[in-house]
Amino acid sequence: MRLKRPTSTNLILNLLVGICALILAFPLVWIVMTSLKQQAEVMTWPPTFLFVPTLDNFRVLFDVAQAGATSYGTIKVDFLTPITNSVVIALGSVIISLLIGVPAGYVLARRDIPLKEDIAFFILGFRFAPVLLVVIPLFSVFQAIGLYDTYIGMIWVYQVVTLPMIVWLSRSYIEEIPKDIEEAAAMDGAKPVRVVLHIVLPLLKPGLIGASLLIFLLAWHNFALGLILSSTKAPVTVALLKLLNPGVQFYPVMAAGLVVTMVIPVILIVIGQRHLERGLTFGAVK
Amino acid sequence: MADVRLEGLSKAYGTIQVLRNIDLAIDHGEFVVFVGPSGSGKSTLLRMIGGLERISGGRLLIDNEVVNDVDAADRNLGMVFQSYALYPHMTVRENLAFPLRMAKLSKAEIDTRVAQTASLLQMDHLLDRKPRHLSGGQRQRVAIGRAIVREPKVFLFDEPLSNLDTELRVQMRVQISKLHKQLGNTMIYVTHDQIEAMTMADKIVVLKDGVIEQVGSPHDLYHNPASRFVAGFIGSPKMNFLGGKVEAAHESGMDVRLDAGAVVCVPVEPDKSLVGKPITLGIRPDDFSPSSAEKDIAIDLDLDLDLDFVEHFGSVTYVYGNAGKEAVVAKASKPDPLKGSGKVRLAASPADCHLFMTDGKALRRLHAPANWN
Ligand SMILES: Nc1ncnc2c1ncn2[C@@H]1O[C@H](COP(=O)(O)OP(=O)(O)OP(=O)(O)O)[C@@H](O)[C@H]1O
Ligand SMILES: [Mg+2]
Repeated sequence: MRLKRPTSTNLILNLLVGICALILAFPLVWIVMTSLKQQAEVMTWPPTFLFVPTLDNFRVLFDVAQAGATSYGTIKVDFLTPITNSVVIALGSVIISLLIGVPAGYVLARRDIPLKEDIAFFILGFRFAPVLLVVIPLFSVFQAIGLYDTYIGMIWVYQVVTLPMIVWLSRSYIEEIPKDIEEAAAMDGAKPVRVVLHIVLPLLKPGLIGASLLIFLLAWHNFALGLILSSTKAPVTVALLKLLNPGVQFYPVMAAGLVVTMVIPVILIVIGQRHLERGLTFGAVK
Repeated sequence: MADVRLEGLSKAYGTIQVLRNIDLAIDHGEFVVFVGPSGSGKSTLLRMIGGLERISGGRLLIDNEVVNDVDAADRNLGMVFQSYALYPHMTVRENLAFPLRMAKLSKAEIDTRVAQTASLLQMDHLLDRKPRHLSGGQRQRVAIGRAIVREPKVFLFDEPLSNLDTELRVQMRVQISKLHKQLGNTMIYVTHDQIEAMTMADKIVVLKDGVIEQVGSPHDLYHNPASRFVAGFIGSPKMNFLGGKVEAAHESGMDVRLDAGAVVCVPVEPDKSLVGKPITLGIRPDDFSPSSAEKDIAIDLDLDLDLDFVEHFGSVTYVYGNAGKEAVVAKASKPDPLKGSGKVRLAASPADCHLFMTDGKALRRLHAPANWN
């Protein structure tokens, strides 16, 4: 059944949707525009919407050879290293989280262990805890045991962000697989390992791809952990902030860095969109 | 093929005892049906045999080997679940091949067996479909196919037909019975539908509250129910139960005065200690007939018939009414004689009557019909 609305109501509703879109799109458009402008153009007020776009800012980000010579001075930026760092850390975190989190999710979904709900809630609780809660105690510990500013150390602490999500999501995905199916496989002669390999994992695959994308993004956008626990291995989010030098502020270069930082997740989202939707809505629909 | 023996099997979840001291012997090629009301422990017992539920006490033997601690995967049994439990990400062909792959059969062997099973169950044309593109009945057939493809020792069925509509249920019932004849395997089948039990079983096991009430052939259970519970559970419509008092016990049986009036001499093994005690007389609706003076009928009941409660099944008609304060159902061979009358006399032969003591146990009948097997 469809409700028939007067055209005026429709108009207002559409307008509201338009305003929402505008509010959300505004910073995005602004940043993209800034990244294509020259430093001088950025500072003008009122802002110009008509300008000759330049890719110079992007060149500066990656052009280590010319040491970032621009028309308005020289800045030394090495943006490739933080991007590599971010990729290694985020990807590593996802892989480690999958390896640990999915089995943990399985146990929480299927086995009767004492205090199951409490354990599950404690793990999820980390999602709501401020990251600094772990960062500050870890800072001195990491320096003492030589994990400060290493990939291993970073991937380790990033588990605070990624692991609870994977445990929680994979638990709910596994709960959606009827237990009968696993039991049927056992009756069909499959030992537990083969049940997991042939039945559980294939059924989990779409959900896990979505969940992996989701936690990759969480890791990618994390800022506090990298800021405190790394320097040369700092992720891209930290590197972006460093572009805000005291003194000169290279807004267009920073905007270009932001665009690059955003583009990578956007590409991932586009590739994995189908799965991501499933990852987000999995537990919601029966 | 295999025989299965349960020796004092029990199951407890924590402190809750759900099965107690189950003794049962199942022979080669037997079709055994577990029946009982919801929560009586049928599924739990079946799952213990299958290896899906840990055994809390007693011994389970398959082919004279204790298998209490053998993994489900190693018991070589086939099981059909109520939910079918097909592998949703696999085609029908892959579903059927799965048990064979787990048994590490060769590719050629797998193909032959899958093809054989598919044609046995008439589903050759479905092999390349995924389960979600099948109807309920087709899924059911795939589930059965997957259980039999490996030619396991014993088949276990847990209410396999309860998700099907009535017509399909009857069809599948016949198919499973045929399959049993063709394959000759031992089958253990759980249902709460006494008609399925009666029509399919060689041996029925009636469970109630985690204990076996009675084990026997369908004929046995119908004609010699060991308790009031079994008598009421087997047969449809349910057996009538009429209250009464024992007046005398003598060689040919016991005289019972019914609360509804009549005095009946029921041919059961007499027990003098029951004289003067209350007793329940059971009689099946089908054993009633309209009263006629000529016939030698020793029990006459006046039924106040409420004609709103007449059930026509086409071939038979059941009338519902009251004898004294007790509800009675009776078969009426023809609906005509009852038409319009508020009162009807029904008669039955005392030989068709059962007597149950206050604890629910039945007294042995002296002239129960001979077994038809
Ligand atoms: N995991 C469990 N924990 C505690 N009690 C359980 C558990 N599983 C089953 N039970 C109890 O065991 C008893 C038997 O259950 P079971 O499923 O075997 O009954 P059933 O005869 O198959 O019934 P139905 O006809 O409804 O399927 C029930 O009282 C049930 O509540
Ligand atoms: Mg059950």
